[in-house]
Amino acid sequence: MIEQLATLAPGPFHWLSLTVLLFAIGIYGILTRRNAVGILMAVELALNSGAMNFVVFNKYVAPSAVDGQIMAIFVIAIAAAEVVVGMAIFVTLFGHRRTVDVTRMDQITDAAGTN
Amino acid sequence: MISQATETLLFYLFATVSVGLALATVLSQRILRAAVYLMGVLVTSAAFYILLGAEFLAGVQILVYVGGIVILLVYAVMLTRSSELLEDHPSFVRKGVAFVAASAFFALATGVFSATRIGTAGDGHAPAAVADTTLEIGRRLLDQGATGYVIPFEIISLLLLSVLIGGSVIARRSLAKAEETK
Amino acid sequence: MEHELGFALRNAWLILAIPFFSFLVVGLFIRPRAPKLAGIVATLAVFASAGFAYALAVEYLSLGGHDGWKTIVPWSFEWLRFQEHLAVHIGVIVDPISVLLMVVVTTVSSLVHLYSLGYMHGEAGFGRYFTWLNLFTFSMLALVTAPNILQMYVAWELVGASSFCLIGYYFEKPSAVEASKKAFIVTRFADLGFLLGVLILGYFGYQIASEAGGSAQAFDFLFLTNPEVMGKFSALGAGLFGIPLLTLALLLVYMGGAGKSAMFPLHIWLPDAMEGPTPVSALIHAATMVVAGVYLVARLFPLFATSGDALLVVAYIGAFTSVFAAVIACTQDDIKRVLAYSTLSQLGYMMFALGVASFEHPLGYTASMFHLFTHAFFKALLFLGAGSVIHAVHSNEIWKMGGLKAKMPVTHATFAIATLAIAGIWPFAGFFSKDEILAAALGSGHTGIFTLGLMVAGLTAFYMSRIYFVTFWGKAKTEHASHAHESPWIMLIPLVILAVLSIGAGFVPFGEFVRFGAAHGEAHGINPMIAAAGTLAGVLGIGFAWLLYRDGLAERSGVIARALGGGYRLIRNKFYFDELYLFVTHKIIFRLVAAPIAWFDRHVVDGGVNLSGWSARVFGSAVSYLQTGQVQTYGSWFVGGAVLLLFSLWMLRA
Repeated sequence: MIEQLATLAPGPFHWLSLTVLLFAIGIYGILTRRNAVGILMAVELALNSGAMNFVVFNKYVAPSAVDGQIMAIFVIAIAAAEVVVGMAIFVTLFGHRRTVDVTRMDQITDAAGTN
Repeated sequence: MISQATETLLFYLFATVSVGLALATVLSQRILRAAVYLMGVLVTSAAFYILLGAEFLAGVQILVYVGGIVILLVYAVMLTRSSELLEDHPSFVRKGVAFVAASAFFALATGVFSATRIGTAGDGHAPAAVADTTLEIGRRLLDQGATGYVIPFEIISLLLLSVLIGGSVIARRSLAKAEETK
Repeated sequence: MEHELGFALRNAWLILAIPFFSFLVVGLFIRPRAPKLAGIVATLAVFASAGFAYALAVEYLSLGGHDGWKTIVPWSFEWLRFQEHLAVHIGVIVDPISVLLMVVVTTVSSLVHLYSLGYMHGEAGFGRYFTWLNLFTFSMLALVTAPNILQMYVAWELVGASSFCLIGYYFEKPSAVEASKKAFIVTRFADLGFLLGVLILGYFGYQIASEAGGSAQAFDFLFLTNPEVMGKFSALGAGLFGIPLLTLALLLVYMGGAGKSAMFPLHIWLPDAMEGPTPVSALIHAATMVVAGVYLVARLFPLFATSGDALLVVAYIGAFTSVFAAVIACTQDDIKRVLAYSTLSQLGYMMFALGVASFEHPLGYTASMFHLFTHAFFKALLFLGAGSVIHAVHSNEIWKMGGLKAKMPVTHATFAIATLAIAGIWPFAGFFSKDEILAAALGSGHTGIFTLGLMVAGLTAFYMSRIYFVTFWGKAKTEHASHAHESPWIMLIPLVILAVLSIGAGFVPFGEFVRFGAAHGEAHGINPMIAAAGTLAGVLGIGFAWLLYRDGLAERSGVIARALGGGYRLIRNKFYFDELYLFVTHKIIFRLVAAPIAWFDRHVVDGGVNLSGWSARVFGSAVSYLQTGQVQTYGSWFVGGAVLLLFSLWMLRA
């Protein structure tokens, strides 16, 4: 049983399949969520899986270095920055339009939302 | 042997939990619950990092992602009153299109992965893994040499600073405008 | 003999520049503020250009010309360049006929300007009138000084446009509007032929010019009338319907000339053009613009003579118009219409004089220009005199005048002089030029045309005496006529000057200046036989008119009119030509040609346009569904594109 389990230990293919599955779920969320904050969450999901990819490759391709992990740290930092800016924008948007429904934001102008 | 078996077990366990939570994140009608599910996904990701031997990264993941980003998202949800204003019902067509696009991507990516031999260096005779990854990360991040990351590190810190300022400016402006309209 | 060119020749551009800038200044700056001043400035400017034209003439004549006068182009600049040998210049050509026309145009124009100051006094559009008059003078000068056929064409159209504005001067009067439209459309229609002719000449001229090389320009008159070039032109062979190309081109060009000079059957616009103010009729429709056609034929005379057939057409149409118009003139009651038909008749005279000329017998060329010269003066005088009468009587109808001999002595005297001049009585100007035309017709062997010319001379004397007697003799027939007063001096001065010119112009040794080829002896003397015949015709005409109209009444002539019956009505209604045109245009062209074209335009052409617009709109709105503004739709496209791209990269790598 244990031996069997040991032979089934996840290789790079499994790891990558997992991250890509998470990424695909993130894409699905980006494309379907109507709430802008929901989209932001889906983006975080995708980013997270992307960061995980770096670590996976770090382990299986270049275990003697830590470059993949450093990249993951950078990705996390950028994700944090992105969320901050995104949140500021959404709050502003909400102040203008009283909504953050992206399906209703199809105008470049501010016509629909001013007062 | 035993560790490999454990790794297998943990991998599939966490993978199941992670995918389930991810699906819940994107499918949940309630945005605040979605935030909580996202937090779960991120926590399982930290577990994956530990499985992958990146303990420091797991700590960062918990600290920054779970402790910072998700909290920010929750704030965003609250400030935009998304939870009470929006019952999230995407249109059927959009769901279909998104599903096709996402699954096509997934199928393609896994197809590529299965067709590609990824150079697995961890077969024993490869160079040994770094013993203390945390120390190594710290060293590399502050290394000014050819392989060092000090310049990207500084740039990231500048980015974070500008985001800090920019975010507050953007949000402030909307508040000022709201004051005016009152 | 190489002369240093004098001031006027060196600055020949002034002949165009003076009236043009006067037009601009008067039209744009002075007219809106001070109409009176506008008239005075315009008049002074034209007097200045007249003075300049005289200076130019004197300088040119002092260059001497015992072996024919040289043609010089003292000033020109390149305006449009199509090809190496197909450039259009704006310039001033100086040769005997252009000098002649410059003098005539500026003289008559300046006198008409002066006269108009009195005649148009108190009219609403005083400043506008002088603006257009200035523009007309400029255009006409640009026409006569054109060194190439394209400048002539441009000026030709400008002349037509300003004529349109002046005929329609009383634009609140529907008949004036109709007349101006008619004049413009008829001449414009004729100009279509002119343009086609220019294009043919330009096309083949360009080929010949590029073969010749050098600096030859296809449009230049100097090039076109070069004997070598003309030989090449006549060697071009048949064009359309077996007509030689040169003849075809010239006939088309002549069509334009016939339109402007109101040759049959394009004559219908000129009598109607009398709706314009009388000085305009004097300037444009008697002395200057209408002779543009004659001038054009004279300018291209060597080409016409080379073709031969084209010149014959000119001769026969001219002779026919001459008789035709003279017959109509005998029956009209409107004094200006009589003068208009008289103008037609005299233009026909000039045309057939050109037509009978040839390389062997070039006398007609001189005679035609001579008649143009003298006619300009006495016909302008007749019109201005008629204007003076109309000014006093407030009517154009000769049967509402009468008995003005004593009341308007100066007008009467000058009108009488002009009548005698046009009737061809010695020593008035018309005698000399008519005599020369008749001599040319006989001398070149066109006996038929000579006979017609003699007949027209008699008819001319008759109808002119008719309006003279009815207007000035007998008793006043209306209230207005009995209270008529002499016109103000500002109108009389031009009359007197023109009367002097009408007497004196005949004594100018014209054959010395304007001739084709080397000096020819026959131009000098007067053939006593022809002179006697011409004078006899004139005296007969006058005598017959005296018999019928000496008391200014219509009784005796009415008997003849009744005796002629239908023939009289036919003539009086101008052979129903206007009706025929109306029938052709309204019933045939409008209904059978224009209406289907309009239908085609409305349904097929517009439909096609609408279809293209509609399809663009449908396509646009179909595509616009892609531009929803929905970020997630864009995102779907983006992901789909990325997947496809990755897939294709993978496939390509495999």
